Amino acid sequence: MSIRDKLLDFKRRLSDRKMYSIVITLIAAVALWGVYQYKRAANLRQELDNQYNRAFYEMVGYVNNVETLLAKSMISTTTQKTAITLQEAWRQATMAQTNLGQLPVSQPVLASTSKFLTQVGDLSLTLDNQNIKGTKLSDNQYKTVEKLYNYSAALNKSLRDLQSDLGTGRLRWGELASKGTKLFSKTSSKNMMKKIETLNTTFQDYPTLIYDGPFSDHMTTAEARGLTGDTLNSEQAKEKVKKFLGEGNVAEIKDVGKNDSGPIKTFSYNVKLKNAPEDQDVNIGVSQKGGHVVWMLRNRTVGEKKLDIDQAKKAGRDFLAEKGYESMEDTYYMTQDNVATINYAYSQKGVTIYPDLIKVKVALDNGEIVGIEAKTYLSNHTVREIPVPKITQAEAKKKINENLELHGSGLAFIPTDYKKELFCYEFKGKLNNNDFIVYINALTGEEEDILMIVNTPNGVLTM
Amino acid sequence: MKKNRPDTGSKSRTGRIATIMVAALILCGFMLIITDLVFKPGSVFAQNSNISDVQLLARAINGEARGEPYEGQVAVGAVILNRTKHPDFPKTIAGVIYQPGAFTAVDDGQINVPIDSGSTVVRAAQDALNGWDPTYGCIYYYNPATATSSWIWSRQVVVKIGKHNFAR
Repeated sequence: MSIRDKLLDFKRRLSDRKMYSIVITLIAAVALWGVYQYKRAANLRQELDNQYNRAFYEMVGYVNNVETLLAKSMISTTTQKTAITLQEAWRQATMAQTNLGQLPVSQPVLASTSKFLTQVGDLSLTLDNQNIKGTKLSDNQYKTVEKLYNYSAALNKSLRDLQSDLGTGRLRWGELASKGTKLFSKTSSKNMMKKIETLNTTFQDYPTLIYDGPFSDHMTTAEARGLTGDTLNSEQAKEKVKKFLGEGNVAEIKDVGKNDSGPIKTFSYNVKLKNAPEDQDVNIGVSQKGGHVVWMLRNRTVGEKKLDIDQAKKAGRDFLAEKGYESMEDTYYMTQDNVATINYAYSQKGVTIYPDLIKVKVALDNGEIVGIEAKTYLSNHTVREIPVPKITQAEAKKKINENLELHGSGLAFIPTDYKKELFCYEFKGKLNNNDFIVYINALTGEEEDILMIVNTPNGVLTM
Repeated sequence: MKKNRPDTGSKSRTGRIATIMVAALILCGFMLIITDLVFKPGSVFAQNSNISDVQLLARAINGEARGEPYEGQVAVGAVILNRTKHPDFPKTIAGVIYQPGAFTAVDDGQINVPIDSGSTVVRAAQDALNGWDPTYGCIYYYNPATATSSWIWSRQVVVKIGKHNFAR
C-alpha cells in the first residue's frame, strides 16, 4: 500500500467510533495531567512565597531591633551596659543582613542596604569591644552612632511601607522570582522593584566609615608596602616573567589582562612553556610596580609522590631565596593530590612576621614549584622596628590557661582583621589532645588571639 | 470489516486538518509527560547535609565553569570568596552561592551535577580557599556572549579568563 493509501486508511479508522473514544480519552488524560501540573506549580509557588515572606518579615523585625538598640546605646552611661547593647545590635544587624540575602531581589538593587547593615554590625562590634575594655564612646563615635541611628530609622520606615503592601496582597514575592511562567506574573511586580529600589536610595549619601572593623571602607584603599621598584610597562614586565620562570623554558607569553585598581596594579599573562603540552600552561600576574610576581599557577597533572614534606619545605624555601625572598620560614602546610601548599612567613631576628606571608605550591613528584601567592607579602612587607617587649616571657606565660601543656614559644607579629599588626609572644601548647597557639601582646600583656590547630590527614591547618 | 465509504471530497480537507491537529496534540502531550518524568523539577538532589566548604565551592565551580581553563575555575571560586568579604553580599559561602538570582547554575540546578572524577574543580576550590585570586578582588563575572543585563555590562572589567569577563 502506498503512503497515501495508508493515510486514508488511518483516517478511515479514526472516523470509527471506537477510535473516537480512544482519542477523546487520551485528550482528557492529557488535560487532567495539565491541571495537575498547574496545581502543583501553584503549590510550589506558594511554598516559595512563604519562604520569601518569612525572610522579609524576619529582616523587618531585626532592623526594628537595631534601631532601638542604637538609640539605647546612645543613652546608656555605664560602659558595661553600652557594651551589652552594642553587642546585641551587632547580632541583630547580622541576622537582618542574612535574611536580606535570601530575598529574590537582584543584587545591585539591595547592595547599599546590605552594606549599611554590615557596617552597622561591624561598628557596633568595634565599639562594643572598646566598651568592654572600659573606654566610653568619644564625641566623634557618638555622632557616628547617631547618624547610623537616623539611617536605620529611615530604613525601618521604608520597610514598613513595603510590609503593608505585602500584607494587603497587592504585591507578591513569588512574582519576582518566576522565570518563564508568565501565567503568574502581573504588572504589580514592576511596582515592587521600584519600591525596593527606593529602599536603596535612603543611603546614597551616607559616609564612608573609618573605624577598625573588617568591612571598614578604608580597608580597600590601603597602600602596598612591599612593592619596591619602578613602574614598568608590559614589555618590561614580560621580561621579568621570563626571568622568573627561566629564560629557556618560555615558549610564548600572551597578554590576558591589566588591573589598574586596588593597591597592587598588575599585568596578567598566560605563558606557554617549551617541552610541555598545550594545556599545561602557566598563568601569572605581576605587579606593574617592580614586576613582582603577585600570583602564579601552573596547571599540570602531578605524578607519583617522591618527596616527603620536609623535602618539599626545603624546595620551597630554596626557591624563595633564589627569587630574592630571603629569611622565609614555613609555618603551616597542607597536601592534596600530591601537591603541598606551604605557607612561609618572613622571619626578622628570630621574630616570625606573619603578615609577610607567601604561599608556595610544591609538586611532590619532582619538587617543582607549581604555584605561588604573594599578595599578602607584597601588601605588608617592610623591615620593621622590633620593639623591646614590655613584659617578659615568664610574665606572659602566667597569663595563659595553666592547663595548657606548653611545648614551644617565641615572638611574632600577627595581623589583625583591621590591618593593624600586634607584637606578641607566641605559645604553642596542647590541651585535651587539641593543639593551640596563644598570642599574648608583648607590650600590653593582653590575650590577643587563640588559634586551634586542626590536624587533618592532608596536613596541618589552623582554624 | 471495511465499509465502502464514498470519496469524501469537500470534507476531506477539514477532516485531514482535524486529524493532524489531534495527532499533534497527543504527541505534544506525550512529550510533555516524558520531559516531566525525566527532568523532575520538583525533586531535590542534594544528598549530604553536611557538605564542607570545599565540596560546596567545588560543586558551584562545577556548575558555573565546568569547561573553563583551570585558572578560570579558580577565578570563579575567588569571586565567591571575595563576595563573602564584601559588605554588599552575604557573609557565608553558602549564603553567597544560594542567594536567589546570583548564579544561573544554582537557579537551574546545574550545581547538583555530580563532579567527574579527574575533574580539576576540587583542586581549584582548594586553591581559591587558600587565597589564590586571578581576579584581584572581583565580585562579578559574566559571559559576554550571553549576558543580557545592561547593568552588568557597566561594571569595570578587570581581566578576561576563558569565556568570562571578571569585573568589580
